[in-house]
Amino acid sequence: MISPFAAPQQRWYQHAVFYEILVRGFYDSNGDGTGDLAGITAKLDYLQWLGVDCLWLLPFYQSPLRDGGYDISDFWTILPEYGDLADAVELVEESHKRGIRVIADLVMNHTSDQHPWFVESRESRTNPKADWYVWRDDDSAYRDARVIFVDTEKSNWTHDAQRGQYYWHRFFAHQPDLNYDNPEVAEAMIDVCRYWLDIGLDGFRLDAVPYLFEREGTNCENLPETHEYLRRVRKEVDSLFPGRVLLAEANQWPEDVVEYFGSSDECHMCFHFPLMPRMFMAVRREQRHPITEILARTPEIPPGAQWGIFLRNHDELTLEMVTDEERDYMWAEYAKDPRMKRNIGIGRRLAPLVDNDRRVAELLHSLLFSFPGSPVLYYGDEIGMGDNIYLGDRDGVRTPMQWSPDRNAGFSQGDFARLYLPPLMDPVYGYQAVNVEANVRDPSSQLHWMKRMLEVRKQHPVFGTGTFEVVSVDNPSVLAYVRCTPEDATLDPDSPVSGQQDIVLCVCNLSRFAQPAELPLIRFEGKTPIELLGRVPFPRIGELPYFVTLAPYGFYWFELVDSPGGAP
Amino acid sequence: MTVELPAGLQELLPAHLMAQRWYAGHSGPPLEHVDVESGRLLWSDGTGHSLWHAIVEAGGDLYQLVVGERPAGEPADFLHGREGATIATLGQSYFYDATLDADMDKVLLRVASDGKESAELARPVQAEQSNTSLVFDDRLILKLFRRLHRGHNPDVEVTTALAAAGFTHVAAPLVTWREQDFDLAFGQQYLVGGSEGWALALTSLRDLYKSPAQGPGEAGGDFSAEAERLGRMTAEMHLALATGFGVTTGERATDSWHALVSGMERRIEAAGDVAGRDLAGAAAPMLDRLSSVSDAGPFLRVHGDYHLGQVMRTDTGWYVLDFEGEPARDLSERTGYSSPFKDVSSMLRSFHYATRHALGEQPAADAEQLEPLALAWDTHNRQAFLDGYRRTPGIDDLLPPPEESPAVLIGYELDKALYELDYERAHRPEWVSIPLDALDRLLHGGDQVG
Repeated sequence: MISPFAAPQQRWYQHAVFYEILVRGFYDSNGDGTGDLAGITAKLDYLQWLGVDCLWLLPFYQSPLRDGGYDISDFWTILPEYGDLADAVELVEESHKRGIRVIADLVMNHTSDQHPWFVESRESRTNPKADWYVWRDDDSAYRDARVIFVDTEKSNWTHDAQRGQYYWHRFFAHQPDLNYDNPEVAEAMIDVCRYWLDIGLDGFRLDAVPYLFEREGTNCENLPETHEYLRRVRKEVDSLFPGRVLLAEANQWPEDVVEYFGSSDECHMCFHFPLMPRMFMAVRREQRHPITEILARTPEIPPGAQWGIFLRNHDELTLEMVTDEERDYMWAEYAKDPRMKRNIGIGRRLAPLVDNDRRVAELLHSLLFSFPGSPVLYYGDEIGMGDNIYLGDRDGVRTPMQWSPDRNAGFSQGDFARLYLPPLMDPVYGYQAVNVEANVRDPSSQLHWMKRMLEVRKQHPVFGTGTFEVVSVDNPSVLAYVRCTPEDATLDPDSPVSGQQDIVLCVCNLSRFAQPAELPLIRFEGKTPIELLGRVPFPRIGELPYFVTLAPYGFYWFELVDSPGGAP
Repeated sequence: MTVELPAGLQELLPAHLMAQRWYAGHSGPPLEHVDVESGRLLWSDGTGHSLWHAIVEAGGDLYQLVVGERPAGEPADFLHGREGATIATLGQSYFYDATLDADMDKVLLRVASDGKESAELARPVQAEQSNTSLVFDDRLILKLFRRLHRGHNPDVEVTTALAAAGFTHVAAPLVTWREQDFDLAFGQQYLVGGSEGWALALTSLRDLYKSPAQGPGEAGGDFSAEAERLGRMTAEMHLALATGFGVTTGERATDSWHALVSGMERRIEAAGDVAGRDLAGAAAPMLDRLSSVSDAGPFLRVHGDYHLGQVMRTDTGWYVLDFEGEPARDLSERTGYSSPFKDVSSMLRSFHYATRHALGEQPAADAEQLEPLALAWDTHNRQAFLDGYRRTPGIDDLLPPPEESPAVLIGYELDKALYELDYERAHRPEWVSIPLDALDRLLHGGDQVG
């Protein structure tokens, strides 16, 4: 397929803003109570207006839906409720026309137990698919692998009466792990990738990549064999479909996650999981160290790589990558009701997590948009949607997108009783109060603010690929950092920052009280800070510490430019 | 000793010295003259820009000066608004405190490091009490000692020894400028993005005082995890000090303890009645108990002036700064051996000061309502600090036997509070209530020490 983008930038993902969409929950185009691909196509104008660059679709494949579609029962078919292949092609083409790319979730590690491969595999020990999953006579192997879904699963092995053996699963028992030691499996999954890239998808978010292989005596995570396989996938993608992206979900410490970038020969992007809980923690503690600490222990990434950073997503706010002490603290602060806890995390949306304080939501977004990485927004957070912790599993944060104050939140023309989940109807977060239509009409809404932020971010590619350096400030509630175009990038003709040196200074107040800060900025002496949202010039930087005052939860983004008339 | 300073400069130094924060003789009579112990030209560019170095004696103390010289009339923005920084114009040149001049600072770094270190950017650290520190390229911080003592400066001596002992919570030593018998300056790695413990404690307290419905453990800004880690780092520091400087035990340690107790008796006597309290009367049972301590545990080299302003939270944990000891005590006292509880208790005193300092920021009308919160924060974080300290493997070997531990800890806390009482009465009478509160609590708690 011919690229719709005039000057294809192979590294577009380093400067993109991603928008995560639950297909089921975004917009129902046919009134059956379930969102669908055609519904997303219908709302592309909204997404273009908002200014996002790439959609990330949660799984849309055939599935019994016992795990939100992460239990795929046919990799080649779209779940009929979501539409068909033609709908997918249309969505991709219409998105591309608007300059928006589309990536989709792909689960490589496991399938549904209803996938024909597994159905066949469990029938006997000798059939052609017998070795496509990990089977053993007892449950004694791989004892060092932890159980991830501790709320529901006791073991990573489940006995199958039909075959009379145990099968291996890192997640739910109905999601058997594929056996990547079998070359047929490894090849089949590459076929799946080719198929979807062929229709124009711009890449995949690869679910649960650390667990592809198992080896005795290890924790069965991040094994060398897994990396080797990812290199093979990358090679295939780069050669046939240059400019597409692989985004890995590896909920690991940054020093382990960087392994998934390889030497620019594995995944293009990886999510940065541990940063997210620490942003919340820093605001509660009113001091910067939870954030600066994790950024300090985040290693350099290879050229062309990028972090995916986020505040919230469709899963719980995971606390796997924090210490026990920090987890207790986060639970105490953000999951006051035990129902808010999910596995080792917190099942809440952004707005309720910050007590619906728009100042905090904006502060956190300002961090998200200015930290090293490409931000990933979760549908609905741009209008400050809430959650329903009384719904089961992770459904609390997967309620229908609130488009208008009309029936069913403007999400569906179907009967209320048919909706896959009820929209929020409470007085604070309900769709009467919080919806796109009202936000669009209100020029001072969070949605307009977000749109403006995305515009400004786009004007400064330095947010995507600039260096990141913390500025020393005595006041612990103030976090100041400089994003600066790397020297080599200004010389790279393929880079969007070619030829210009861009310096952006970000200063924020993590406290609910107004705060002063003195910034040692002598290395920028003579430059003038221009505030980016209003383009207001601030006093020139001199040799004394630069003094700023910050409103509660306030932040500034300054472009540092040479002063008119030059330095004295 | 060479004395080679521009003519007429020496006569101007008394007035200059009296205008500096680090001059120790502010409470004495005006300084009439200084003796120049040594004076020399460190650097000159041949076009009227020079850097002079002097060690002068004034009022019985030795001070280090670095003096910049520029051609008269040449602008120098860095002197704007810096009262007392300019010395005078003499002939074709004017003279000033060179530490404010980034160009001179860079020269100073090259001289101090014997040419091994250089920098592109320099800036002085604001608002320092007794020394002058310069930050270079956000990479190296050079502390210029203002009051000099013959022999080794304890900060240089202890920091270097701790780093050599593998203790990772001191900023790495990079430059030691030593000439003749003096340590003149000490350069260490600059801790980028660090926060002083004092500022973090106040941040936590301000949060608590505006969340009155919550206790210190439930408030968002809970400090106890930091306090616990600080306790652990403190214990590790003591273990490293014991490795680096050894310990004394037995009779010598016990004698030192009894000297400390009798010293307190004298000081309480001398303090007389304070704010209507009969301190001596109230202290008698406690002092009896402290005198009866037969084993105060090992004595070792300690930090000596350990408080929240001397510790820095960085992205790699807590760091400890400034081993110079309490500036008001003389050098032999500062380098003497003590129980590690001397540091532990003075950090606990600092927690108390923080609660009261933050209380002082609040409207007076709220003080009564906030007082229980202040106390709760203090108790909660003391506990966390002590837990972190005591749970550090190996620390038991440096502490008194369990039955004497509480008494020794209280003894040092009492000692510190008495020091604070003298200090506040002399300098900040409005703060006297802080050590007095502590004395009340410590003296009335005497029965709890058994």
